[in-house]
Amino acid sequence: MSDASSPHVLTEELVGPLSPLTLEDRPAVLESVEWVPRVLADLAVPRPRRGSIRLTDHDVRTALAPPDHAGAAVLPFSWSARTTRRALGLIAVRSLVAAETRSPVAGVRVAIADAVRSARQGERPASSMDRWLAGLPPAGLAVVEAEAVTWATRLWCALDWGDLHDVPTIGRDHWWDSPHSSLLAIRSRAEVRSVGFDAEGSPFSVHLVVLGGPRRASVRSELSVLAMVEAQKGTHSLPPGRIIGWWPDSGHVVKVEVDRAAVAAGVEAVARTLARVEASAPPLKQAARVAV
Amino acid sequence: MEKGLGQVEGGAGDPAPARDEVLSLLRNGSGRRPRFDPGLAGGLRAWLEDGASDLVAARGDDAPPLFLGPRLMWGEPAPTAGPAVALESTPYSIELVRSCLVHTLFRQIVTTGEAGDPLNDALDALRVDPGRVDLVRQVEEMTTETRAALASSLTTHVTNLMNLTPRFESGWLPRTNDRVAIPLAGGRIVLSGVFDLLVGAPVPHTATLCALGLTTGGRWAQARTALHYLALLETLRSGTPPFRIALLHSAAGRFGVEDVLEEHLRSIVSHVAVRLSTLEPIDGVLHDRELVHV
Repeated sequence: MSDASSPHVLTEELVGPLSPLTLEDRPAVLESVEWVPRVLADLAVPRPRRGSIRLTDHDVRTALAPPDHAGAAVLPFSWSARTTRRALGLIAVRSLVAAETRSPVAGVRVAIADAVRSARQGERPASSMDRWLAGLPPAGLAVVEAEAVTWATRLWCALDWGDLHDVPTIGRDHWWDSPHSSLLAIRSRAEVRSVGFDAEGSPFSVHLVVLGGPRRASVRSELSVLAMVEAQKGTHSLPPGRIIGWWPDSGHVVKVEVDRAAVAAGVEAVARTLARVEASAPPLKQAARVAV
Repeated sequence: MEKGLGQVEGGAGDPAPARDEVLSLLRNGSGRRPRFDPGLAGGLRAWLEDGASDLVAARGDDAPPLFLGPRLMWGEPAPTAGPAVALESTPYSIELVRSCLVHTLFRQIVTTGEAGDPLNDALDALRVDPGRVDLVRQVEEMTTETRAALASSLTTHVTNLMNLTPRFESGWLPRTNDRVAIPLAGGRIVLSGVFDLLVGAPVPHTATLCALGLTTGGRWAQARTALHYLALLETLRSGTPPFRIALLHSAAGRFGVEDVLEEHLRSIVSHVAVRLSTLEPIDGVLHDRELVHV
């Protein structure tokens, strides 16, 4: 782990050149689409009273957390200022990147107004978050806004956005659906997705993940799941390059380059998470779909 | 800066809102932002790591992370105060209840520039946080007299905060409850705290942030120390301390503004290192909820 003490440093960490070893591994990473799906399908065998599994980063984090950290992760999900901040903050940062708004405050206000309007006027389909926001009193909305503004400002101040190639993708989840088993899908969550270039000018994908909670030994395994998912999608999009996990609370970063070892670590992390799912009764929550 | 956190300035009765003066003091000379040695943060961190080493060794490798907030500085037993903590099933003290409610109203004032009925607004805001269910219930179950007294005191705090709190343009990037958590010794000790309000965008090696802290009735000197502690944590997080800090005293309607100097950081890091080296390993029981965010 290292410190990314300025936007320039974090941006360089994100889009800088890949190591030669990672580039050497690229064929093996792309070939992993041949074996990874079969391994994962074997892990996702049907079990009585259990439907399909849609594995999220929350599930992986919970499964890999040391025992003294696991307790905080089992609270049932409910909407709150904390659980809405990422969704609203991402909309705000997206609008800033697109130059549609000029500050996180403005972006969050637009996001909240749109959500409330959707719930009240039905201009577009309203989500459960939209309906929850629409039912809040003004003071409740104010604290939701405050929490989202802080989240968005931290991300907005973290990167040199002008140094990113083209327009980055803000907060779009990638889902990998097992081609061999309808029982398994795995999410790759990243707040910022962009493009880096190697020395020969060939592009690769880079992904910034905002991390929460304490620093933990398992974080590389968590990020390796993203690396594995991106590797499975790499044959029909940019080859995967790098995952950066970033803690806003401390400025620490952890870097995972998408190489053979990262893909294998991702498969192992999924296996351990599925084992945890198997061992848990009732099934590992459908809760906490929103990363906080 | 002619003003300092050691001095206390005008209250709610002044003809011009004190917030204009707070804003003016935060902006005064802001074109001359000090630059800091890029090696400063590394040196401060090394000092703290030294201070933590004996404590970490005494607690052992299997001990859970020890979270330490600004109250570490004056050695008060946890968990007496701090807006984010209370022991499970232990009633919150009235001071802690008031502090939580006032901090919540401060966020509202920063965000919207207004406050309606203080007690109702604060409770409406806290109901959005499932972690505050116990606190909200405790207020709801208060006797009529106790609740009226609390509402009355909140009105005083809010009146003062409306007078003291600058209305920052959105371009200043105001953000409330910005949490900082600096791990030491590979995460075995975590120095943590929460900025009530930060403004400004970080620039490498240049102090550009302003931090505003709120105290609801504690001692001025302790609140100032807590702000210096947070300034230290920001230095460790971003490599550069805040440019200037302001302290607002919501009970008395006072405020102070001062620059963050290298000598403040050296003083506070020395203090933290000494406290770390003198904590008893048994203090390890003070981890988790008790010391987090205090």
